[in-house]
Amino acid sequence: MSELLLRLESLAHTLPQRPETAIVLTLAAYFAGLRLFNWLRSPAWCPPILLAACLLAGLLALLPLGYTEYHRGVSWLTWLLGPATVALGVPLYQQVHHIRTLWKPIVLTLPPAAILAAGYAVGIAWLLDAPPTVLASLAPKSVTAPIAMGIVEELRGSVPLLMGALLITGVMATLSITLLARWGNIHDPRVIGFALGVNGHAIGTVRAFDIGPTAGAFASLGMSLTGVFTALWLPMMWYFVG
Amino acid sequence: MLSILRGFLILTAFLMLGDITVELFALPLSSGVAGMLLLTLWLLLRRRLSHDLGAASQPLIGMLALLIMPGVVGIFFQADEFSGQWLTIFIALILGTLLSSLTTLWLMQRLVASPRERPHE
Repeated sequence: MSELLLRLESLAHTLPQRPETAIVLTLAAYFAGLRLFNWLRSPAWCPPILLAACLLAGLLALLPLGYTEYHRGVSWLTWLLGPATVALGVPLYQQVHHIRTLWKPIVLTLPPAAILAAGYAVGIAWLLDAPPTVLASLAPKSVTAPIAMGIVEELRGSVPLLMGALLITGVMATLSITLLARWGNIHDPRVIGFALGVNGHAIGTVRAFDIGPTAGAFASLGMSLTGVFTALWLPMMWYFVG
Repeated sequence: MLSILRGFLILTAFLMLGDITVELFALPLSSGVAGMLLLTLWLLLRRRLSHDLGAASQPLIGMLALLIMPGVVGIFFQADEFSGQWLTIFIALILGTLLSSLTTLWLMQRLVASPRERPHE
């Protein structure tokens, strides 16, 4: 009996170190988050991933499992982020024909729009005396998460802060573009969709697909192009300035 | 199932190619982004999307939210690091996003509308 207890004690030490513990917790929280999201009738201001992350944080706080241990274990799962980012090239290729139909406005709008999407926020934070880590974490705020994570690591920002910034940006862009389009009397789904994708990454793109397939296609195009363009100019710029 | 695996092999090979390119040319890019650009370029040159690649990329893209989740959780454990910065962060994000949304809409609307107005001139 005492031997069993001893083994139980050693299990309490080894189990948190095992990758499967971290992966089971992550998957369980993910599906629970999706359920909760449906149960709350899909609120637009709170994407399911935020609910799932809150549940997971709660689990980690309750269990004798540290965030560092969890992070090490779950890296077996998050490694897939690499091939998944590469996979984004497929929808990008599929949307290229939209560029052909409207290449001039897209080519002329994208660079200033993507630069300002980062520039306004970084400029405001800089004026308010934010430290370099915060500036680096806010800079890729309009870029789709997998690409933004790669960028923020290059800039030596904080991934968790970036995640928060992405969430606020996505919700805020969706809200402001919907209202601004109404006030400005803009009805072209290509314009609204593109603006949603450039400024509001995946969250904006989801909203664009609610408007219609054309808005959705232009949003995913805007999102992909902003991601690629920002991944190219932002790190270079950062090295020159910083 | 084998089709997904074959597609996964292509994606992972492009990730490796991205690794090599980034290391070799000392690019300030993540290898995932470099791999994505290389894959897009390759598809544009071939002008054809193989069934395998589609079969592997679709489920992976669908999993993105799950893969990003562990990073989001970190904010709850590293929030202290940014205490005193939150007001700045919120102002920068909210005001910055409002301004950039306004700029994009205005620019795009002007540029899309202008070619159509030209015949009336």
